[in-house]
Amino acid sequence: MSAEIRSALGFRLAALAQRSSEWLSVVGGFGMLFVEIVSRTVRRDFDRQEFVRNLYRMGIKSVPIVTVTALFTGGIMVIQAAPIIQRYGAYGLLGWGAGFGTLREIAPLLTALMINGRVGANNTAELGTMAVTEQVDALRALAIDPVGFLVAPRFLAIVTTLFLSTIFSDALALLGAAYAGLGFLGVEPAVFYRGLTTGLLGFGDVAHGLQKSIVFGIVIGLSSCHFGLSTKGGAPGVGRSVNATVVASAAGIFVLDYLLSFALS
Amino acid sequence: MIRLEGVCKSFDRAVLSDVDLVVPESCLFGLIGPGASGKSLLLRMITGLMRPDRGKVIVGGNDVLAMGDMQLHEYRKGIGMLFQNNALFDFMTVAENIAFPLRRLFNLPETEIERRVAERLSRVDLPGFEARLPAGLSGGQKKRVGVARATVTRAPIVLYDEPAAGLDPVTSQKIFDLLRAEQRAESSTVVMVSSDLDRLLTVTDRVGMMLNGRLIFVGTTEEAKNAADPRVHQFVHGNVEGPL
Repeated sequence: MSAEIRSALGFRLAALAQRSSEWLSVVGGFGMLFVEIVSRTVRRDFDRQEFVRNLYRMGIKSVPIVTVTALFTGGIMVIQAAPIIQRYGAYGLLGWGAGFGTLREIAPLLTALMINGRVGANNTAELGTMAVTEQVDALRALAIDPVGFLVAPRFLAIVTTLFLSTIFSDALALLGAAYAGLGFLGVEPAVFYRGLTTGLLGFGDVAHGLQKSIVFGIVIGLSSCHFGLSTKGGAPGVGRSVNATVVASAAGIFVLDYLLSFALS
Repeated sequence: MIRLEGVCKSFDRAVLSDVDLVVPESCLFGLIGPGASGKSLLLRMITGLMRPDRGKVIVGGNDVLAMGDMQLHEYRKGIGMLFQNNALFDFMTVAENIAFPLRRLFNLPETEIERRVAERLSRVDLPGFEARLPAGLSGGQKKRVGVARATVTRAPIVLYDEPAAGLDPVTSQKIFDLLRAEQRAESSTVVMVSSDLDRLLTVTDRVGMMLNGRLIFVGTTEEAKNAADPRVHQFVHGNVEGPL
């Protein structure tokens, strides 16, 4: 092996080691932050007013985007299923098909991605700006715990927002599917409803999706708070943190969705 | 009294080297020096926001570095701090910013908090600004709100990092006079970092000069003005020619 190849190999190995160390430091940071949040939550040592304020900003203000996403998602599922339904004349199964996909997979996943883009990115930008303008240090200097005042309320608000938004999204996506079924396939909402409720679908399917939404909420909450608080380097740093949050959360959501689909089945 | 002994700190290079500093009780101490000489870092060490690699930070007889989380929490209740870029909470109004430490740390009735906020705002010449958000304030107004928040708890130790940065000369002098009056009224121990030497030296009792992470001079304001050390003399008098 020539000296050049050895040198190039060494350089690549060093770069790989550095990337691995950075990745481990992020994962470690997530873990430590999660422990701190859980300890504040168990001790009820977090700011309730901030929790309510964030729940309003994150939850109530996300209703329009969740509504639009859910209604159209339900409609799209019917449009995609329409050729098969028509070919086999399985109109009575439309409710089951739409419900199965929506409740277990599509509603939690798409709602999480929307909340990641709207709430997660915004949360990172806010915390990142606070970090680079010394507001987080100012809290510490004022003898106020930043995790109890800033992080735990936001984390809990994100998890709660995503859980409630998923329930809301489940209902709206099914409504969208029912009316798309009526419009495209002539399936009456009563037939759609019977397909949904006559035994093929159960509470387990709803719970499956809701359990996923809690895990996705934890991913978005941890990611957005961790990257926000560790922001350095002024406005460009805030941009980098927001980017990291959106990418890491989306990747985490898909990987965990895959694993949870196995685990919960 | 604030006492720093042999304080050292390095990042990729040494930023503080063997700093020994004593700030007597009820003294207004000015910390001067060129940019990146370690002045703000010293303030952060006094508050316990940053730990030195070596050395001791003793405040009021207590070793700050030996404090646990709870002790540090109690210790910081006795410190007011103005950050270089004010660090006002931008999601709170002016009144909420000033009232924040009172509401969070002291069990005071709301009427007393409102009275103190109004008194602080009047003291910094911003009456009627209660409902404004920091984003709608000028640089000088933000600075004055920062001063109001730093002094609202009447802490025995107050640290000011560039209290007049970016202000016009008149507002700047007003701020320094206000901080001096506050310090006298409360008999607080104050450490003030400022690049505005013309005005800073009109209010300080003692002065220390940092250069490249070392404390190269400590003395009274008069001694600083007449320092024999050519570096101190050049910096205090703003001469272009000299060793700096």
